[in-house]
Amino acid sequence: MFRFLLLPALLALSTPVFAQDNMNHGSAYMPDHHAGHDHSVDNHGEDLAATQQTTLSLANQPELLAAAAAGGEPIVAKVLGAVCDFCAKAMNKTFGKRKDVAAVYVDLDAKTLNLVLVPGATITDKELLKAIKKSGYKAEDITRGPSVIAN
Amino acid sequence: MIRTALITASLLAGSTAASARPVSYAGGWTLIEDTDRQSTTALVHYSPSAFYSLGLRTHWHRSEDILFTGPQATWLAKRWFGEDHQANLYVWGAAGLVKDIGNNPEDDQLGGQFGVMTDWETRRLFLSYRASASDFGSFGQSAMQAARVGFAPYKGDTGELHTWLMLDVDHRPENETPIGVTPLIRLFYGSALFEAGWNVTDDAPLLNFQYRF
Repeated sequence: MFRFLLLPALLALSTPVFAQDNMNHGSAYMPDHHAGHDHSVDNHGEDLAATQQTTLSLANQPELLAAAAAGGEPIVAKVLGAVCDFCAKAMNKTFGKRKDVAAVYVDLDAKTLNLVLVPGATITDKELLKAIKKSGYKAEDITRGPSVIAN
Repeated sequence: MIRTALITASLLAGSTAASARPVSYAGGWTLIEDTDRQSTTALVHYSPSAFYSLGLRTHWHRSEDILFTGPQATWLAKRWFGEDHQANLYVWGAAGLVKDIGNNPEDDQLGGQFGVMTDWETRRLFLSYRASASDFGSFGQSAMQAARVGFAPYKGDTGELHTWLMLDVDHRPENETPIGVTPLIRLFYGSALFEAGWNVTDDAPLLNFQYRF
């Protein structure tokens, strides 16, 4: 009776969680001479900006724009697998309770996680990727600084 | 009286028969209620990490008047990511007490349930398969499998109402009507998911609810 359960169970036991999830050694944000440029990380920690030419823009949300106007650093991350409001909720909750985040918004249409930090706060790419992973998702590119608003 | 109290408690306590995303983000609580043509299940769970959740499951097999209650663990065995899609493979198991809530109750039994569930989803298309088995001691054993296909008539953005039209087909070998067909509508709004459908083979409702805190 239970035979049909065996195949998926074996499949489950033989596979690691979070396919493609080998991004913990991504490059760190370098605010000095890279300000205004894309800071993209891939599975190998390499800079993808040169190859993908990704341009990420901060979502046009009042809370984000107000927090950026107050002096917080805006960050936009391209998120994989965000297909529903539960995905958005997970990231909103994870980042919304951080004291260093002034505003957060997940844009399902643009497939982006949008953050503005509180003035003076910093989050490295590694910390950001870790927090996204904690919410159950994965980021492909990270762009930070004034350019995300200018775009 | 006891029966009513038990059923009420089960619904309040909180299932993952058909539900979307049975593991939440780290630190998230989820309340799930599933009612299909055969049973009503409730589950409240907490996710210590995005990989697994722990909760209390109550499963009421309505025609047999059997109530199963016990802790449940759900493991996200694998998640596949894509730019426009997500796929998941979950494995879950629960162990607990099986109670006869009929008019002439038999002695309580120890029992268990386990299952697997996999899904693939974009913002417009949805496919899933799930299978589970129950061992309720002297009350009997059962198994089921089901598949679901759905599509969204439009892409809902963050915070908007998301609407899905779905068709669920389940197979319960020991039932009088082994194959069940249930067209349903899924509505997603913020932290809440609601599904309503009608099983056309057994003339029974499907009512599922999920809220993520």
